Amino acid sequence: MPAKILSVDDSKTIRMIVKRTFAPYEATVLEAGNGEEGLATAAAEKPDLIILDITMPVMDGVTMLGKLKEDPELKGIPVIMLTAESGRENVTFIAKLGVRDYLVKPFKDEQLIEKVSRVVTLTPKAVAA
Amino acid sequence: MSENATAKQIATTNGFEDLPANVRSLTDLVSRQDAPLQDIAKIICGDANLTRRLLEAANPRATCEEDYTITTVDGALMRSGIGGALLLAITDPLIRAVKRTFQTMLAIDFTDVAPGILPTLDGEHVIGEVAFAGKATGCVNLRLSPAAAIAAATTIMGFPPAAEDLNDVIGELSNMVVGNFKSNLCDAGLNCKLSPPKIMRTNEFKLRAADGGFAQRTGFHSAGVDMFVDILVNPWTG
Repeated sequence: MPAKILSVDDSKTIRMIVKRTFAPYEATVLEAGNGEEGLATAAAEKPDLIILDITMPVMDGVTMLGKLKEDPELKGIPVIMLTAESGRENVTFIAKLGVRDYLVKPFKDEQLIEKVSRVVTLTPKAVAA
Repeated sequence: MSENATAKQIATTNGFEDLPANVRSLTDLVSRQDAPLQDIAKIICGDANLTRRLLEAANPRATCEEDYTITTVDGALMRSGIGGALLLAITDPLIRAVKRTFQTMLAIDFTDVAPGILPTLDGEHVIGEVAFAGKATGCVNLRLSPAAAIAAATTIMGFPPAAEDLNDVIGELSNMVVGNFKSNLCDAGLNCKLSPPKIMRTNEFKLRAADGGFAQRTGFHSAGVDMFVDILVNPWTG
């Protein structure tokens, strides 16, 4: 069963990098451009993991995380924050809301794989003969 | 890592970078409203790089050191006041954020240089702008030639970008630079919020500070891409 990963970021570039990073693995990457879309996709698709940005239009990542944790159906979905904001006050606040990990932009693909593989099983796709 | 990972664990595993002690001390002083200028001068005098940048900012029309009319740190601080020290304090984390972002995302090793060393951007060029507002208020502009912007976007995306994708890449790079820089400011007591990135095309290359404000331009040179980064700080209100 491929891992189902939801990337919530207003930047198409970041969503594309996330998608490309997991292309060699048995994984489906779903995309959402803000927290509101992210919540709707999470409710519909029940992903194995959410990779979440903070600063986004419509609904930011902190609000989405709060709503996710209030929802009995969704609160168990692990969340990794992927954001350019790393100030200690910010990180402390977000850590208290309950996140599995935190990756600061800029980031390398390998760092993202390493963090995600601690949460979901990443199986390399079989190489075509 | 547990669901309730602490900030300390997260900071340790992500290796958040602290500012050097002298820059941190300077930022701490500037973030106070009552810091004596002589305390600020003492820190700047102890660091050749901070001294060089303060004198550059205090002599905006000079093209070389021989043209300086203000030649001492005390003189520069008398002229620029706490706003000049603020600009100096926040330029250091900005330079670090630019280098880290472009090295990590594009494998570009930038060297920061005086802007006069690089060729000016003639004609239309691309600006990625993010504003910050709080104790310190202003904006940061990343300026690239169209060719440099396309090269950066192509490296990230793996193929030549459409116009919309080009804007998104430059916007995201600007966001990463200023987001990192903002985190350093907040940790030092200069809390602020960021605007979403704005992408513009302009023919205007001249650096213009607001009345009573301060501006500084830094050049970034690499083997393949050159870039300018401007920081514009509004008049300091404490």
